[in-house]
Amino acid sequence: MLKKQNKNKRLIRLAVQIFFLALIILISFNHFRSEQGLEPLLIGSPSLHAVCPFGGVVTIYSYFTEGTFIQKISQSSFTLMWLVLGLTLLFGPVFCGWICPFGTVQEFLGKIGRKIFKKRYNHFIPIKLDMLLRYLRYIILILVVVKTATTAKLLFSNFDPYFALFNIWSDEVTRLSLFILAVVLIVSLFIERPWCKYLCPLGALLGIFNFFRIVKLKRNEKTCINCKACDRICPMNINISTSKTVSNHQCISCMLCTDEITCPVNDTLNFSVLEKESSGEDSLKKVKKTISGGEK
Amino acid sequence: MKIRSLHMLLAIITIVGGGILLANELGLYSTIREKSPRVTAEGVHIISDIRGSHTLEEIEKYYQLPASSIIEAFGLKVDTDPNSFKVKDLKEIFKPIEIEGEEYIIETDTVRVFASLYLKNPYTSEETFYLSESIVSYLIENNKLTDKEKEYWLGHTFKAEYLGDNNLIGSENLSPSESIENEVAEEAEEFEITGKATIQELLDQGITEEKFKEITGFKVSENKTIILKDFISEKGLEFKEVKEKFSEILKNR
Repeated sequence: MLKKQNKNKRLIRLAVQIFFLALIILISFNHFRSEQGLEPLLIGSPSLHAVCPFGGVVTIYSYFTEGTFIQKISQSSFTLMWLVLGLTLLFGPVFCGWICPFGTVQEFLGKIGRKIFKKRYNHFIPIKLDMLLRYLRYIILILVVVKTATTAKLLFSNFDPYFALFNIWSDEVTRLSLFILAVVLIVSLFIERPWCKYLCPLGALLGIFNFFRIVKLKRNEKTCINCKACDRICPMNINISTSKTVSNHQCISCMLCTDEITCPVNDTLNFSVLEKESSGEDSLKKVKKTISGGEK
Repeated sequence: MKIRSLHMLLAIITIVGGGILLANELGLYSTIREKSPRVTAEGVHIISDIRGSHTLEEIEKYYQLPASSIIEAFGLKVDTDPNSFKVKDLKEIFKPIEIEGEEYIIETDTVRVFASLYLKNPYTSEETFYLSESIVSYLIENNKLTDKEKEYWLGHTFKAEYLGDNNLIGSENLSPSESIENEVAEEAEEFEITGKATIQELLDQGITEEKFKEITGFKVSENKTIILKDFISEKGLEFKEVKEKFSEILKNR
């Protein structure tokens, strides 16, 4: 009974991921059609740059100093950036965990990797090295923003595997970005979301919001049975079971760890706001019932 | 309050979906790039803002750099349509050239350098240190270079090579009549109504102005160099349907 309910809850995020993945594929396909002189299907045919919020991030300097968007960036990506930042301020990097089609592709490939490598999957890199590599994305973010500000060119698209994947038919895609794409896709079979973890500059920016987001991931220490199911399910390898409030910069708000999906104890691990800690006894009673099969 | 998956879904729909709709209503969600270049305090358009997506006509409009000058200097076909030919299309016309171990491509930055020299507007390129012989000759013939510039560019030229015979300016090996005949024959064989086709190109294929009016319901516009697709969309018609009708006529000729 409990398992069935968990699966249904997972389906909500999966549906959102598939929706945005399909949307981006359709936009890309339409853009291709319009370049061939054909009519777009269902929706318009903007370029991928126009629907990527990171375009807004890289043009921010140019916008506030010169009042213009940089090469290839349109107003829509600037607007999307503010919407995504608003969403992130409230709920953390939901964009990464729910919307980003490139994250979704990596996650889907990861499912194959998980089947192949079982428990070893997502644990190939030594912890110390892994922790260090996770700061690489901040260096990339700074480099991209500074370099874009000084050249007013969208340099990141020369490396961007997301752009390469969904624009593979275009001559705008560089060999370097195709190479990076191939590496990321292959590594996704060993490590969950490698691009998100180590290299994504947008993920880096959104990750900072984890320190002051309004809706926080909270763990009730009194009711936690320390089973570490949350640690095992976390795609970003965050040590959730040792924190009271999880504010790790890598959290992508996927909600997989919560008691709605994985945590076996009710009211123990939740995204919540303005909530007092519940008394531990009620929840412990619930878990005992659940474990003994008493709860229907 | 606990936040569940359903709440997150609603938040995404409200903030992202609702935000896009609201921004659209307020005119803050345009997916079309603003192509007009920045202007300096002196009212001069900034050369570095020349983009690959600018057509020759737009370059002429913004920078007062005649499209015919670019066509002649770069050695493009004389019938190149300034309204549809984009600066980035140059990459598909000329072969990359290797000079001193570096690969040179005639592309957007070449146009920027040419525009800078032609208009005497400042622009510092980090990519273009060589220009094709035809560009340098054109600039010299039109007295656009100072002595110092002339000295530098005469020592930094290369011979541009075309990627395909299609792009050759004309017909070095053919007589003018043969050349025109071949061109017409090729066009008749290869012509396809794409999103870039102009009304003039369609008329050149034998579609009469009467037939044009019969199919579209509208007279041929005075400016025949405009893109057919733009004309059709402006009139609120479906490009696909109109295109199919024209294609059918061309096929049955």
